[in-house]
Amino acid sequence: MNKLFSVSDVNLSYGDKHVLKDINIDLYKNKVTAFIGPSGCGKSTFLRCFNRMNDLIDSCKIDGTILMENKDIYNKKYDVVDLRTNVGMVFQKPNPFMMSIYENVAYGLKCSGIKDKKVLKQRVINALKQAALYDEVSTRLNDSALSLSGGQQQRLCIARAIAMKPEVILMDEPTSALDPIATAKIEELIEELKKDFTIIIVTHSMHQASRISDYTAFFLNGEIVEYDITKNIFQNPKDIRCENYITGRFG
Amino acid sequence: MNNLKTTKLNKIIDKVVSNIYLLMTLISASFMLIIIIFILFKGLSPFMSNYQYGVVNFLDFLFGTQYRPDMGIYGVGFIIINTLVSALLALSIAFPISVLTALFVVKIAPQRLSEFMKVVIDLLASIPSIVYGVFAAGIITKFTMTIASMLGVQTYGGTSLLSVVILLAIMIFPTITSISISSISSVSEDLQHASLALGATKVQTNFKVVLLSAKQGIFAGAILGVGRAFGEATAVSMVAGNKMFGPTFGLFNTTRTLTSTMIAGLKETSGLDYDIRFSIGLVLLIIILITNFGLNFIKNKVGKTHEKN
Ligand SMILES: Nc1ncnc2c1ncn2[C@@H]1O[C@H](COP(=O)(O)OP(=O)(O)OP(=O)(O)O)[C@@H](O)[C@H]1O
Ligand SMILES: [Mg+2]
Repeated sequence: MNKLFSVSDVNLSYGDKHVLKDINIDLYKNKVTAFIGPSGCGKSTFLRCFNRMNDLIDSCKIDGTILMENKDIYNKKYDVVDLRTNVGMVFQKPNPFMMSIYENVAYGLKCSGIKDKKVLKQRVINALKQAALYDEVSTRLNDSALSLSGGQQQRLCIARAIAMKPEVILMDEPTSALDPIATAKIEELIEELKKDFTIIIVTHSMHQASRISDYTAFFLNGEIVEYDITKNIFQNPKDIRCENYITGRFG
Repeated sequence: MNNLKTTKLNKIIDKVVSNIYLLMTLISASFMLIIIIFILFKGLSPFMSNYQYGVVNFLDFLFGTQYRPDMGIYGVGFIIINTLVSALLALSIAFPISVLTALFVVKIAPQRLSEFMKVVIDLLASIPSIVYGVFAAGIITKFTMTIASMLGVQTYGGTSLLSVVILLAIMIFPTITSISISSISSVSEDLQHASLALGATKVQTNFKVVLLSAKQGIFAGAILGVGRAFGEATAVSMVAGNKMFGPTFGLFNTTRTLTSTMIAGLKETSGLDYDIRFSIGLVLLIIILITNFGLNFIKNKVGKTHEKN
């Protein structure tokens, strides 16, 4: 199995607040890894380490190393823009830009300097197809992205991310703002996407984690308590705290 | 029981309050109506055949290139053009500067500088026109004169189109900036994060996402600003030079705007020369309306933004 990320001794704090404690974990290529754990335990914070979105928070300080294909992504020479084109992100709330459907997907490509109209169009269409949205929007690519339903908007955000042809897609509770049907669609999509991408997903739904992920990491108070193949975590957890959380007996 | 009573009371209060709102709306609307009717009546009277001080031909008025009250000639065609030229030039200078300043204040400047600049901009917005006028008459005209003499051009003591444009640009800058600041500040963080996470740089994010999302407010600022530019009389009349014919396109030539025409010698006149100012006011209102439509049109074209619909 191919390691994509290798995280060692990562500690992160916001000001005086120590949020991630001695994190050591390897994440694998073309797998879906789920981060689970109670609210406030640092899942989103850890997820944001992989595309350095924490850099935007002034009070945030991070130690340790995160290697992506053996390169330290926190090295000064590593260009954040390159990192973020390579590591896409989908947020909790669908957040399309106030642009047309087409422009939303083309946005990242244009920012990265692609100008050729034909190339753009092809990449946009491919991304929309890959995100299982194309059939629903093919006749109205120039309509406002905000005219789409919540679930469609979230798939648009996924399309926007995969248009960049990233290696990794980070997803922070991508279905928590959606209804069950839209959620099922996205889950289906994730199964499809893991052929081409490595996916790291934060979720509060045990059902979702067990259904779509290959690996699961259980977080508690900024530590990874247990990390294993998803099946083991859900059928045979080793740590009692993990078991309690999974079975809903937590707290 | 008690609960039921309070709901009933609340309903009554609701009704009373909403009626008070309605009343307020009606009062302010009727003020508007009265003002408009009055201006319409006064403004149209010089063109009516039964006008007591000698009828003015409407077309001569609207398209005339001379304004000579001393000779009974009232043509405002060139003044309309002058007004449009000076206000739109001022807008095209002030608009980009204001928007970039707002972007700087909200997104780039360190917290303290940003707070300081906000205070200064709000202060600038509240300075009365006459103060700007005195400043313009004393400083801007000197500046214009210097530039003109460097270029070997004559001015009339610096009163010129250029002075008017600079003055107006300075006057509308705080208005547009201040409104742009609040509109840029309210662009959601989510959108900016989405953009950055796609590998866009901060600059790309600011220009392509932040400004686009703040477009509505920025253009509201532009409309208010250009409204102020069109409507400014006191300060403008101090540096315009009130030329009697035109139109003026030369930056160093004197000019005349609708407002400076309306205000010139207002207190010492009567009859036609007085009433005609209402006609000019009407023209000004219509120009402002048309410009607002124009700006709205541009707004909808820019970036073809897609609002929620
Ligand atoms: N920008 C920030 N500044 C300061 N503290 C923060 C910031 N973001 C998060 N925190 C704190 O860091 C801790 C971890 O937050 P994080 O958002 O990573 O938790 P989470 O596991 O994603 O929770 P949830 O499941 O509710 O999303 C929390 O205590 C939170 O209050
Ligand atoms: Mg979270």
